[in-house]
Amino acid sequence: MRLQIERINIGGLCAGSRTGMSDHVLYVDFGELERIILTDDRIKAAKLDIASPGDRVRIVNVVDVIQPRCKVDPGGTDFPGSLGKLRIAGEGRTRSLEGISVVLSNRYSKRSYSSLIDMFGTGAEMSRYGIMTHLCIDPVPSDGVGERNFESAVKLAGLKMAVHLARAAGRHPVDRTEVHELNLARLPEGALSHLPRIAYYYQLYTPQHDYQGISDPILYGSEVTGLLPTLLHPNEILDGAVISGHTIRELDTYTIQNHPLVRELYRRHGTDLIFAGVVIGVASLEPVQRERMALMAANLVSNVLGAEGVVLTKTHGGMPHVDLALVAEACENAGVKTTLFIQLVHGVGSTADEASFSADSLDAIVNIGQTQEKIRLPKADRILGGNPATTICNPDFAQKAGDEEIEIEGFLLAGVFDVLGGSKIMAVDY
Amino acid sequence: MDRKRLRVVHYLNQFFGKEGGEDKAHIPFLIKAGPIGAGMVLQKILGERGDVVATLICGDNYLAQGGEKASREGIELILPCKPDILIAGPAFEAGRYGVACGGICKAAHEKLGIPAVTGMYEENPGVELYRKEVYICKTERSTVKMAESLKLMANLALKLTSKEKEGKLLSGEKIGRPEEDHYFPRGLIKNEIVDKTAAERSVEMLLAKLQERPFQTEAKRPELQPFYPSPPIGRDLSDCEIALISDGGLVPKGNPDRLRSRGNLIWAKYRIETFWPREFPAAALEVSHTGYFPVHVLEDPNRLVPVDILRDLEKEGIIGRLHPFFYSTSGCTTSQARCQEMGEEIAKELWEKKVDGVILTST
Repeated sequence: MRLQIERINIGGLCAGSRTGMSDHVLYVDFGELERIILTDDRIKAAKLDIASPGDRVRIVNVVDVIQPRCKVDPGGTDFPGSLGKLRIAGEGRTRSLEGISVVLSNRYSKRSYSSLIDMFGTGAEMSRYGIMTHLCIDPVPSDGVGERNFESAVKLAGLKMAVHLARAAGRHPVDRTEVHELNLARLPEGALSHLPRIAYYYQLYTPQHDYQGISDPILYGSEVTGLLPTLLHPNEILDGAVISGHTIRELDTYTIQNHPLVRELYRRHGTDLIFAGVVIGVASLEPVQRERMALMAANLVSNVLGAEGVVLTKTHGGMPHVDLALVAEACENAGVKTTLFIQLVHGVGSTADEASFSADSLDAIVNIGQTQEKIRLPKADRILGGNPATTICNPDFAQKAGDEEIEIEGFLLAGVFDVLGGSKIMAVDY
Repeated sequence: MDRKRLRVVHYLNQFFGKEGGEDKAHIPFLIKAGPIGAGMVLQKILGERGDVVATLICGDNYLAQGGEKASREGIELILPCKPDILIAGPAFEAGRYGVACGGICKAAHEKLGIPAVTGMYEENPGVELYRKEVYICKTERSTVKMAESLKLMANLALKLTSKEKEGKLLSGEKIGRPEEDHYFPRGLIKNEIVDKTAAERSVEMLLAKLQERPFQTEAKRPELQPFYPSPPIGRDLSDCEIALISDGGLVPKGNPDRLRSRGNLIWAKYRIETFWPREFPAAALEVSHTGYFPVHVLEDPNRLVPVDILRDLEKEGIIGRLHPFFYSTSGCTTSQARCQEMGEEIAKELWEKKVDGVILTST
């Protein structure tokens, strides 16, 4: 499979009388964008804004961040199964706009958590989204549309906008081309056969937070609760087969589109290792299913992909640590060496208190940080995606988006922590 | 950048403060302008960076016996000096002095909101008492290395008071790791900005593990205590009183005891007859727990806490009696240590009430 990502640097995003690109500046016609969003009759209205680095702007109720991307080949589909018709993602040419994103807010969500992006001060310094320009979308549901149905409409609107912006870049020259090519069926490749074969186990999802008991569709438009271990080509992940759910928690669609661990394994493929492929799986609430997942996933990693080593990443939450550790332990039992990601949640105690597992073989742990560390943010002049009275989650006291100062837990500031390994943060005993 | 000179108050006991030996161990607080004794060395180390504006002196026994109240007297004396930081000791291996240094540092931090640093030998009882609340530099046993110890303490003091955001911590604090800045670990977990992404680190670590090269894991191994199930009750259940406990966060509507939905540290008990009437509207209950979406529990809380079954068993005479209270806590990212304490607290109460057996249900 060969995927060519053609990256175009965007220097600015401006409102204009038509949507198009000239000299690295992307002009968008808000009227046109709005008309596209309103073709979905679940949405009554949509407020569109541009937020640029340095603006004293706070975007609240953020439920996803998406990189503008579109297929360039004739017949290619964008976000197949989620937006476009079903095709296998990961083949051909994809245009990608760098330095901008589509930020989705849902101020009508009653979920416990949504994220926040600041375009200024501490919040912008800490987040990779603080240095990008964003097209912010803040839709209003049509009368009688249920919460979950509206969430799907919001996501779809975001995906449509991401594709529309990328298409608007037209024939603009490409700044950087990235080729991801891996022929899994023919590995290892001759002279490289001495390199260790490394697989990736990607824990996609946990059903424990299913809002209203309903799962988010994140894989080719399908929900994944109950999914058994499945093989994916890494290019599928980079090219829109997987999107994030309707909540961020250290993972958004932008991050999946640029999956840091998949790209790292690609980067080292052929020099330090052979990238042997990806197994996806999910966490489970049920012990027998957990064991089934662990044994079947380990068997795919070991006996189907023939891997000698595997890196395992986890989805947000405490319980998925157990699922991940069981998969890792089953891999070690099958003779496959592991490193696994964990996420810490306490500021007091020791890093030893945080691992929910203790198998001797699981001795190579990578931590993505203590994601509940509090961050103080200064007053914003303008609030997008909500208003100054919008409640900002804090377990200890009530606070509002327009307050003089707010304090939030790190995992609610989008673009700081990253369950897929993109952040240079590590929690340490002090 | 032109740095403001740090205003330092130095704390010494009667001996180091040159008031006398054991015969003066009872003297109350007194304050003197400028540095005294070891404070001269401290001033030399600080140089242009700071001034020891005053020295606070107190007898070891006065402070050791006076506890927090005595510490507050000391704090009131230094208040007019407007210190940026308090440096205490070092106390080396002197036990009473170490406890006094820890106490006065803690008080300075709590009452004045300023950082405080002291120094002790690892066996000083002040270390275990105060290391979680106070920065305590590691010193030798004896006073021979006074200057070296003060250098470590001054270095730490300067970092704690620095306003520059150039440290490696996400929070912007400049403090280094315990081993880098030579202080006793405080039992905190902080986020560092490191050179490589987690993705890069994980692949490097895996290659090292495969090639049997040394590697450094990023989380200490948990020290889990083995858990053995209790033996069966061993007598006729029809004589026994059975209690129900759950960590699923089930509480009356409004959450009157304020169980936190995440990182909760408390438990509560509710009388089953009122909390759980036979015909109840689910709207009378709520779940304070963010680790799961509680739709199924709110539809029927008996799915979480089997009150209905236990009532049936009671009626059928299979169990003697259902304990009248339901014990509730929320077990979502709660630290293991606190979970153990809560378990012991609930067990003690059930033991006193002569409950024979418990059914624990989780999510």
